Amino acid sequence: MVKVDEKIEEAIKEIFNSEKPWITIVWDDPVNLMTYVTYVLMELFGYSREKAHELMMKVHTEGKAVVSTGSREEMEHDVARLHEFGLWATLQRGDQAI
Amino acid sequence: MSDHDSDEQHGFHRHGDNAFVAEFSESEREVLINLVEQIIELLGERTDNHVDDPLAAMVGITTHDSPPEDEVLLRLLPNAYADQVDAAEFRRYTESTLRAKKYGHSMSMRITLKSAIDGIIEVDHDGANDWLGAMNDIRLALGVRLKVEQTSHEELELLAPDDPMRGVYAVYSWLGWLQESLIVALMDEAI
Repeated sequence: MVKVDEKIEEAIKEIFNSEKPWITIVWDDPVNLMTYVTYVLMELFGYSREKAHELMMKVHTEGKAVVSTGSREEMEHDVARLHEFGLWATLQRGDQAI
Repeated sequence: MSDHDSDEQHGFHRHGDNAFVAEFSESEREVLINLVEQIIELLGERTDNHVDDPLAAMVGITTHDSPPEDEVLLRLLPNAYADQVDAAEFRRYTESTLRAKKYGHSMSMRITLKSAIDGIIEVDHDGANDWLGAMNDIRLALGVRLKVEQTSHEELELLAPDDPMRGVYAVYSWLGWLQESLIVALMDEAI
């Protein structure tokens, strides 16, 4: 059997990990109004009022929430739109610790 | 995040399917114009240092890959990644677009205010979104100066009458209330 070096194994893992979805995180911010965060999530992502409200509450109570998942390009687009409306958002790989 | 109680003032209300109307006193209108113009000016200070490549300049690639040093600008144009290298790369390709969008929101708000007749302004859904983005940028800017991150609501309420920040906080609160009234009017439509 072929014995693969641990480092190579890691590198291969990395390659496949990069196929895993990326995530967009919205962080809590004392300035943004709760209703505003809800409205922006509805407006940008087409979420229902219930879903947007739930995500907003998660941001508010837990300090952050994952608001969308997808490819890196899609998440970069989402973060750019959230920044346009002043929400504090970042993106990262889905398997990374937040 | 913060929550807001409305009071006796008017704010925005819905007019038919796609119109949102508000009435401002002359002094309120002046305050709003003054604030939005400061945001426009601030965004303009961060001019593009286009690389010596006309194509790069055309598609909006700039030499800005480090975050703004000014605290307010940094809040308006934040990093998209925790990782500094990724953040710099993203900023290089996208910051000028973000600035243009924010500039657009503020200019739209300014034009509505400048063309108000008898203090009455009217916007459609898109115009309302411009206003929300622009008002939010003003509140973010004031919020940085008021240090709302580090200061409690109660402390801000108790600022001394001669403290200039007391007036800033009053404007900040009023804008929050105004923003809220527009969101409520928009949400009515969204049901």
